[in-house]
Amino acid sequence: MEKGFVENGFIIDLSSAMNTTQLVFELSSIMEHPDVKGKRVCLKLGSTDLKQSQLLSIKALIDSMDASIALIDTSSEQTKASAESLGIVVSEISANATPTIVGKAEESIKEEPVEVKEEDKTIEVVADMKIPTAPVETAEGVEDVYEEESTQELSEIIPAEHFDNDFESLAANEGLLKAEETSKYILLDTGDVLPQGVEENSANTETLPTLYLNQTLRSGQTVNYDGNILIIGDAHPGSEIVASGDITVWGILGGIAHAGSQGNVTAKVRALKLNAIQLRIAGLYARRNDTLNVPYVQKTNEFTPEEAQIEDGKIVIYKKLRRD
Amino acid sequence: MTGRVIVITSGKGGVGKTTTSANIGTALAKDGYKVVLIDTDLGLRNLDLLLGLENRIVYTIVDVIEERCKLKQALVKDKKNPNLSLLAAAQTRDKTAVNAEQLREICDTLKEENDFVLVDCPAGIEQGFQNAVAGASEAIVVTTPEMSAIRDADRIIGLLESKEEIKSYKLLLNRVRPSLIKSNEMMSVDDVVEILSCPLIGIIPEDTGIITSTNKGEPIVNDENALAGKAYRNVALRILGEEVPFLDLDEPKGFMAKIKNAFAKLKAKV
Repeated sequence: MEKGFVENGFIIDLSSAMNTTQLVFELSSIMEHPDVKGKRVCLKLGSTDLKQSQLLSIKALIDSMDASIALIDTSSEQTKASAESLGIVVSEISANATPTIVGKAEESIKEEPVEVKEEDKTIEVVADMKIPTAPVETAEGVEDVYEEESTQELSEIIPAEHFDNDFESLAANEGLLKAEETSKYILLDTGDVLPQGVEENSANTETLPTLYLNQTLRSGQTVNYDGNILIIGDAHPGSEIVASGDITVWGILGGIAHAGSQGNVTAKVRALKLNAIQLRIAGLYARRNDTLNVPYVQKTNEFTPEEAQIEDGKIVIYKKLRRD
Repeated sequence: MTGRVIVITSGKGGVGKTTTSANIGTALAKDGYKVVLIDTDLGLRNLDLLLGLENRIVYTIVDVIEERCKLKQALVKDKKNPNLSLLAAAQTRDKTAVNAEQLREICDTLKEENDFVLVDCPAGIEQGFQNAVAGASEAIVVTTPEMSAIRDADRIIGLLESKEEIKSYKLLLNRVRPSLIKSNEMMSVDDVVEILSCPLIGIIPEDTGIITSTNKGEPIVNDENALAGKAYRNVALRILGEEVPFLDLDEPKGFMAKIKNAFAKLKAKV
């Protein structure tokens, strides 16, 4: 494979992710899209340092979505070393290609059929952290086009100006959708649940250290960490995750999750499937609604990433709705 | 007010201690008595699931013992019946987090404000069992008509007899299948009572409705039509001192029922 070309695949730009948690969460919301299946993925990782185990988990996850890593582009020496030890090709992905298409909604594809269908040969998905709304999209028929002409330079294929305008409006219209507040979780009247001497604060969770766990958390197991917790795997009912910062579960969250346990009201809980029996953020405790019918077995193709946070004294859940 | 503290135990696992606790507790509460259920199965709690209260638990018995909360805060009120509350076990700890003395104290406090304190005992005869029986003055031994369960129940009765605090113990025979007893494939109720020489407080028929009720988190006593529900309601009445005859678990009579039965047997043979 030559430098800068991707056959039948995506370039996923995660270089703007500021830490591993963000990186994984963004990647998860992209990989969750059904069109990713069977594709080759190029990861732009920027300067994020990834250990071998972290990269291995990312690879395993991409593999589990029936996709594969074609190559990665990174400026971090550590990530490079990790990739080499895992046999992943490290290469620069078309240095002069400006990141252009950012999550195109199907609706807007229909509005501009000419540009997308005829000119769009390669799609670059940029997970821009400043606009966390970018949904993942692929144009129909992309796969076929790749097979015909797979040797064109990326920067030539996608004229940046075609998409620049779209992006802003897209972010505004297709923003994170707020799930109905009342339906999924109900606040518990617990009174004063923060331990004595602990005060509410709104420290930036991004500066906290992150505990990275690559395992399934089973009933009765607890993780308690002063910082953020990232779990690659499911957290089964009966398990408990307590973090002073954010909690991110790349999998099904079924147990109890307590983010901002030291009173941080800006802490968030995110999961591919948010089914926590109880959600706790700082001093707010919410129970899952009894009427919510959780099936015995969760189908892995039904994931819609969700994020819970405090807003106006309530726990609010944001949902990325799929447009299919 | 001094309530009664009853421990529900069995020795063997899977015979229906937790189901029995949930149902008797719910039945007594429905009759207007104030009931607290205590789950002492630390690390393998289930009672909250059977009652459908899992999502409401904030504090557990370990939090009470380690003084992170008051006893009142840890009591989870039932969804339907305000007379019924649950003191949940900690899922993330093990049996060593609690000792017998602490449990006795909790039982003593709770019985002052409640008519009944039902203690759901874990399987086994180790620390968990010793903790659970510590505060109780009465016991219900749950068993099924199988040799292994009866052997374990016998062991448990022996241990209960050696405890001074336990003033009385009764036997509850669970998962009885009259059709199997008739065909001599299952021990009869009389056989079990004779082997264990222990007074009987109830006979609960095998009921597939138990499975659905467990999964839904809705005790079967709330189902007016279920036979097992009726049997549990009768057990509650007997606990209250009423004389209620045991249910006639024989196969249904009447013409249609007979035909249905004949078909069922035919099907079983094929």
